[in-house]
Amino acid sequence: MNSLSCERVRESFPELLDPRTPAAALGEVREHLANCPACQREFAMLHRTLETLDGLPIGAPSPALRRDFYAMLEEEKHSATSARANAERDFRNRSRRIWRWVLAPAAAAALLLGGFLAGTRYSPAPAPAPIASDETARELRQLKNKVDRLDAMNQLVASALRDEQTQPASERLAGVMTSASVANPGNRVVDELITSLALDPSANVRLRALEALYPLAGRDAVRAGVLASLPRETNPLVQVAMIDFLAAARDREAKPALERMSVNALADQDVRAAAKRALAQL
Amino acid sequence: MLAVRDGELDALGELFERHHGPLFGFLVKLTGDRTAAEDLTQTVFQRMLKYRHTYRDDGSFTAWMYHLARRCAADHFRRTNAAPHPTDPAALSERADEAPHAATQATVHDDHALLQTALARLDHGDREILLLSRFQELSFAEIAVILDCSVGAAKVRAHRAVRELRDLYFQLQKQTPA
Repeated sequence: MNSLSCERVRESFPELLDPRTPAAALGEVREHLANCPACQREFAMLHRTLETLDGLPIGAPSPALRRDFYAMLEEEKHSATSARANAERDFRNRSRRIWRWVLAPAAAAALLLGGFLAGTRYSPAPAPAPIASDETARELRQLKNKVDRLDAMNQLVASALRDEQTQPASERLAGVMTSASVANPGNRVVDELITSLALDPSANVRLRALEALYPLAGRDAVRAGVLASLPRETNPLVQVAMIDFLAAARDREAKPALERMSVNALADQDVRAAAKRALAQL
Repeated sequence: MLAVRDGELDALGELFERHHGPLFGFLVKLTGDRTAAEDLTQTVFQRMLKYRHTYRDDGSFTAWMYHLARRCAADHFRRTNAAPHPTDPAALSERADEAPHAATQATVHDDHALLQTALARLDHGDREILLLSRFQELSFAEIAVILDCSVGAAKVRAHRAVRELRDLYFQLQKQTPA
């Protein structure tokens, strides 16, 4: 046994019992513990207590929690303060878009024009033919280089913008497809799919997420997730797919929402028809 | 949360999906009441929306969330003026573990019920720090911020709470006929 007292060793028990502590840490304490039956008893009791505490069965919250949360979020989004904030944010985003799509090309054109004018204004006065042609040829080469560089830069910017708009969606779609391929998905995978269905800006990704949720329609949380996402959905295609899902899952809790949709004059005609069809099935 | 603060309320949906499970677990253990824990989880997210303008980017979101959760739970206990109730063993059986051998399952079941009772008998402050310290998401530095104390004090209090829980738990085990 090493020189550490039992008291000192027991003071280190919190670190020892903390799963975040690296296995190699607290070498002296571990060494003492390996050789001291009294400390071993004390440690074992604490360990068992915490193990039981960590293992207390909790289970998932009821589907009502998710439904109520999204209802609250919708309500807040439509409140006066949020509406104003949204309007301000949209204005900011629009300004940013204007900058990108109008001002940036305009700036590039101005630069080109500037280069051209500089090239013509400061070109040397007419001189003997051989000298003038050398000078002009050099300036023309410089100007051509500038234009080429600018062109390459524009292509780079356009490609970056294209990537920003397309690549994340395809990556997200790949993510959803990976989640969908899990044989027996746990809560985390299900949560990821429901999050994609509720929040992803791409209708394709949302549709793919919904498709992946079909085999899991027997789970309360899945049906509640789809039902909670339905009022937020704006794309008629996805709305119809969600309604079909709820009808196929025989989710009676969806009835009030479907009844509202079936008579909503602002809803798409196909959506209203799908809601009526689903109500007949339920 | 910064996006939510700046008006992108949909971003709160992502935070909800990521954090509501662990938060609910914390509140179930803290209150010993699943229904109250669900209500409190909802209240925490409600307060996030309400106080989103006060969120500052000077700590982790998780720490801020548990800070709000702690406040909500304190309000709950003030309202109900009651300590958490020990879980009904019958309710636990509905959520039993992976169902191994029947005898093992019964023992595990009893252990859980006893520990839940011991947890309910623990002083509220001890229960709180103990549960916060068992969350892998929170460091002691963050717990110290949540509880407004030093890191050292948080560690000492957490350890004292573990020892207190152990004493209550083993006392109950002795009282329970084998």
